[in-house]
Amino acid sequence: MNGNHHNFDLKGLLKKVFFLDLIQGLFITFNYTFSKTVTMKYPDEETWIPYRRFRGLHTLNRNKEGKELCVGCELCQKSCPTQCITVVPMQDTTGKGIADRVAYRWEINLLRCMFCGLCEDACPTEALKLGREYELAGTSMQRQLRTKEELLTPQAIPGEFEGGVIVKARLETDETGIKIVPDMSVQKRWW
Amino acid sequence: MIELLLIGIKVVVVTLIVFALPLPLTYIERKVAGHIQVRLGPYRVGPHGILQPFADMIKLMFKEDIVPAKADPWLFRIAPVIAMVPAFAVFATIPFGEKVTLPIVNYEVNLYISNMDTGILYVLAIAGLSVYGIILGGWASNSKYPLLGGLRSSAQMISYELALSFACIGVVMIVNSLSLLDIVRAQSGWHWNILYQPVGFVIFFIAGLAEINRIPFDLPEDEGTLGAGYHAEYSSMRFAFFMLTEYVAMVSMSILIVLLFLGGWDGPVFLPGILWFLLKVAMLIYIIIWTRFTFPRYRYDQLMSIGWKILLPLSLANILITGLIII
Repeated sequence: MNGNHHNFDLKGLLKKVFFLDLIQGLFITFNYTFSKTVTMKYPDEETWIPYRRFRGLHTLNRNKEGKELCVGCELCQKSCPTQCITVVPMQDTTGKGIADRVAYRWEINLLRCMFCGLCEDACPTEALKLGREYELAGTSMQRQLRTKEELLTPQAIPGEFEGGVIVKARLETDETGIKIVPDMSVQKRWW
Repeated sequence: MIELLLIGIKVVVVTLIVFALPLPLTYIERKVAGHIQVRLGPYRVGPHGILQPFADMIKLMFKEDIVPAKADPWLFRIAPVIAMVPAFAVFATIPFGEKVTLPIVNYEVNLYISNMDTGILYVLAIAGLSVYGIILGGWASNSKYPLLGGLRSSAQMISYELALSFACIGVVMIVNSLSLLDIVRAQSGWHWNILYQPVGFVIFFIAGLAEINRIPFDLPEDEGTLGAGYHAEYSSMRFAFFMLTEYVAMVSMSILIVLLFLGGWDGPVFLPGILWFLLKVAMLIYIIIWTRFTFPRYRYDQLMSIGWKILLPLSLANILITGLIII
């Protein structure tokens, strides 16, 4: 019917006269007006919990007994393309030898880190993991040098949590930088 | 003496209300736009972003008032005022309801500033003057896009004002009066003109959208191709005046449609007339905002052909058929 120009298109004409297409369009936007919005109220009220594959701030794990898993082998330091990891293994100062070798210093310079995850791959004891914290903004360069003690404290998002949801959150600011505290009890799906 | 005082008070009250109206309207427009586009709209200033218009107002007031070096300084400065004054002057003859008696002093007050016998002519004439501000603003900017915007505005006005006025004539023929008060009174008891003049209503609505430069006919300020059009060179409060004009024009066009076609303050008795009037106006404003974020902009030649080839003949035919039926 479309190809034949001699045919009188009554249906099309009526559609035009009564603005049917336009009214259809108006109803589509009307439905969207009252549908759920995709906007996330970040960072004041909500925040996004990434999936486990996410590569954020490093975290150092402990085993079930609470002992550090890191043995100070320096493989992460050697694998780091930007040389932002500094590992100093514990020195034997007693002369009798150490049963459990751990890192004496384990520091990461987040200003140089590109979160490639090679250190995580290189780690033989699964001590090092790139976690899911990513709000790293701060007011001083010194804050971006994270030490072993800071990285050993567990992150707010538990490692076994699947992620991929929006949770309730609270924004905290102090003189050193910002912090977003997620409240894992209230979860909702994104759209 | 008391009459004069009363008129003075009414003028001040109406002007203040109309001045304040763009504040909620910008907020509503941005909220509706946001939700149509599945966003939230303004959210951070105050609860649910309710203080956003005040933040915008303060920002606009503190901006530098820039006059381009090659612009005509005098015309450039006066153009926003020329655009704004007619938009406010329209309200001089608009009735908002029947007489009310003030509760304490027991004095009857008319809910209009003046009831002209030729009210509708006055409204159409004054509303048309607003375009001069836009043309002058575009011309005085001495810049390419504003000039194009101003010229588009003048051409658009010529092609739509005719259909707009002709659409009114059908109503005037039925009512036999040019006074807006008489037009509303003639529609009382559900004899709304939209039932007798459906074609006239559609023409008036479309031409009205073009008259107040709203999408799908906002060619003078076409952001896509003209980069804000006639007010591209304006900043600070002069820009705010243009925005104010636009919103006030939207309100006055909604009011005019309600008065002419939707029975003014006529409605079921469980609500007072003024509330029915405001409800209808609010609904029309919502529809205008809703269409803005639903439809794309018409191309310039399409706009011309709609105006001259469809709306004008249709409005003439409408007058002819109305006349035949009345006889």
